[in-house]
Amino acid sequence: MTQPRFLRSARIAAAGLAIGALALTGCSATAGNSGSAKADASAQSALLTIPREDMGTFVRNFNPFAPTVAPMTQQAIYESLLIYNPAKGDTTPWLASEWTAAEDGKSITFTLRDGVKWSDGQPLVPADVVTTFALQKKIKGGYDYLDTVTAEGTNQVKFSFKTAWSPALFDLGQLSILPDHVWSKIADPEKDANEKPVGTGPYTEVDTFQAQSFVLKKNPNYWQPEKQKIAGIKMLAFAGNDGANLAAANGDVDWAPQYMPNIEKTFISKDPDHRKYWFPPTGSMINWQLNTAKAPFNDTDVRKALSMAVDREQVTKIGMSGYTKPADCTGLSGNYETWKNKDVQDKCDWTKLNVDEANKLLDKAGYPKGSDGKRTLKDGKPFEFKISVGAASSDWLSVANVIAQNLAEVGVTAKVDSPDWAAVVAGYETGDFDSGIVWSANDPSPYKYFAGMMGTATVKPVGEKTFENYHRFGDPKADALLTEFAAAADEDTQHDIVDKLQEEYSAVAPAIPLFAGPEWGAYNNTRFTGWPTEENPYATLSVRAPTTVLVLTSLEPAK
Amino acid sequence: MRFILRRLGFYLIAFWVSITLNFLLPRFMPGDPVSRMFARTQDRMQPEQIEALRKLLGVDDRPIWEQYVDYLHNMITGQMGVSISRFPTPVTEVIASQVGWTLLLGGTALVIAAVVGNLLGILAAWRRGGAIDSALPPILIFIGSFPYFWLAMGALYLFGVTLGWFPIRHAFSDTIEPAFSWEFMSDVGMHLVLPALTIVLVSVGGWMLGMRNTMIATNAEDYITMAEAKGLRPGRIMFRYAARNAMLPSVTSFGMSLGFVVGGALLTEVVFAYPGVGYQLLNAVQGLDYPLMQGLFLTITAAVLLANFLVDILYVRLDPRVRAN
Repeated sequence: MTQPRFLRSARIAAAGLAIGALALTGCSATAGNSGSAKADASAQSALLTIPREDMGTFVRNFNPFAPTVAPMTQQAIYESLLIYNPAKGDTTPWLASEWTAAEDGKSITFTLRDGVKWSDGQPLVPADVVTTFALQKKIKGGYDYLDTVTAEGTNQVKFSFKTAWSPALFDLGQLSILPDHVWSKIADPEKDANEKPVGTGPYTEVDTFQAQSFVLKKNPNYWQPEKQKIAGIKMLAFAGNDGANLAAANGDVDWAPQYMPNIEKTFISKDPDHRKYWFPPTGSMINWQLNTAKAPFNDTDVRKALSMAVDREQVTKIGMSGYTKPADCTGLSGNYETWKNKDVQDKCDWTKLNVDEANKLLDKAGYPKGSDGKRTLKDGKPFEFKISVGAASSDWLSVANVIAQNLAEVGVTAKVDSPDWAAVVAGYETGDFDSGIVWSANDPSPYKYFAGMMGTATVKPVGEKTFENYHRFGDPKADALLTEFAAAADEDTQHDIVDKLQEEYSAVAPAIPLFAGPEWGAYNNTRFTGWPTEENPYATLSVRAPTTVLVLTSLEPAK
Repeated sequence: MRFILRRLGFYLIAFWVSITLNFLLPRFMPGDPVSRMFARTQDRMQPEQIEALRKLLGVDDRPIWEQYVDYLHNMITGQMGVSISRFPTPVTEVIASQVGWTLLLGGTALVIAAVVGNLLGILAAWRRGGAIDSALPPILIFIGSFPYFWLAMGALYLFGVTLGWFPIRHAFSDTIEPAFSWEFMSDVGMHLVLPALTIVLVSVGGWMLGMRNTMIATNAEDYITMAEAKGLRPGRIMFRYAARNAMLPSVTSFGMSLGFVVGGALLTEVVFAYPGVGYQLLNAVQGLDYPLMQGLFLTITAAVLLANFLVDILYVRLDPRVRAN
């Protein structure tokens, strides 16, 4: 999960100032505050303190259907049937102890774990799962492939699909399960604030709730009591990244999941023995997406040539402070490490900087360079277009600027256009744009990613609103593979198909992949130990991911 | 009385114009809250959930005049709907829970800045060319022209982090419960110092200069010379004769500023993580949260107009010339 784009901007501007201020106060800050930070630490040693940088104030709303749900609702209070860990590419059974997919791929049966209780003492039953999905479909929609959800016996739930649908496992498995005995009595589940949540998670008891901080205490009936080693979780509200970064630098929080510029200096250097960071590239792939409904972007050679002109090393270094790695020809982010086709990776050419080759390809495709060194289109007009990025995202803006400079070397003129994000996204949605820096779907299985990148089902004509496949690229060959993938029940077949999808992706270049979004995460192990690291990637350091509960059940107070 | 009625009529029209603009402006912005939210959460929201969310949040495609009629009706009856960025909390509740902190912060800072600034202005003008007059204005203007953000960050680091004199975030410590106790109130007071101080620092120079300049003009008036010739005490001349007459422009700016306090000190709230409406307004604009934006703008407009109206009435008391017209 990458961070919200609009906020990042403000925070980068702010962070620059924060560094300035840090530099000003210099070493005295380090020496001066270590004493007071320690004193604070002992006073609240039992609570794991986490900042939330994009909420100035909290609203007591633990309804997972609310678009503005209180943090930790889906991480500490409610749990899902299984947990997929993108950092390692493995799946942990959670509320379900096991599952089996039908031979024909048209259903999956989950077996619920024995002995799981809700925080009010009631047992977890199949009806809970059935009710959860009924509510989810009614309130939020989606799950169109799902035909019926039925309880089987005392501990099994069977999901039947309209057609074979293998991506369903993670889609179903990662939804937060709600208690039927509570939610079936709520009159208006869309709008209920669910102030006293009943969940199966490790920390369900809302202890104090104030506008700028709240505390969740232990679930008295948790199914893994031996793993509840922290006394509770305390969330702090910050109206921007700078405040949260300050709290982190000051040692007031244990976990700092927000973006920190120059983290070595602002955060680590204050206490290198206890402070660590880890940014696995498991966020969504960030692409430079060209509107393929327009010429010359409908030409594969043009897309590949433009891609070869981009210096991704420079892009990640300047635009992303070197916090991530350049993309390769598979177009897959670190989230899909286990799915990557080694052949495609080895033979990769069009995502590597090669100005000569880019020039040759553009010449060959019929976009000649004039005497002034600038290329023209087939109709004689200059080869010029815009790259649209929201004004707020300063990091992506510098990415776009680097690209524009790179393109000048092959005689192509790109102008960076940066109105407000709302205007940019409105352009993406209706197809009224040349190109833009765009995120992509990020799911445990690569199905949605490829469907949104090159499935014809997601292509809408220009003028009609769409929320995926902004670049409007459809490939019938990819469609055939996607259909095959959906019907494939066993994992080996799925991997074979995804290998082919990557070959196809690399052949047609639907978009120009730049880099995988990193998942920010830093921690301070003065008070708690047992954090995930690059060497032990049992989860990512995100506080909003499905794997967050794995961290919450692994941490223990420092001795 | 006729004067007041006429002013009242004027304010009603101004109010209608501003709430109409308030209705139109967000609707001229491109995009809608749901796609905005989608872009914001990026890969965390499924495209097929968007329609459902639109319905849930009541983003409507009705003709604009129908929306306008509804809007006016809601404004008059005080129903401002449900906030989108704070769904499903009603707009009135969002504003009510935060406007108090903003008023406390903005009000305290304004009163201190105005009182201190005006007093300094009076003294500077009275001892023209003296120490206060030659040293303070340039210093205060220098400080005031710092980018606020920078100044606030600097103060936060110096007094909050390095020296540890004041808390560095929030309106009160999260270890104590709000109550009408000495402990809680002093805690709130401590949390107020840094944010209020930085606002005072950047605004006090303006107050001082304004007052100083009018005071100098007033000091040249014949009645001051007359009072001096009569041998009145200098203090009396300074406050009762000169300052009282030089006050008028300051009263106007005080009234105007009072109205704007409601809008919140956005940057202050962001730097100090203070729970006011300023940050909420920024959020509402970024998230295209029409109902909350409208609720906040309405509150701010009403506050500004009300403050102006009160100043108008006060003026009649203070300045007889206004009465004559």
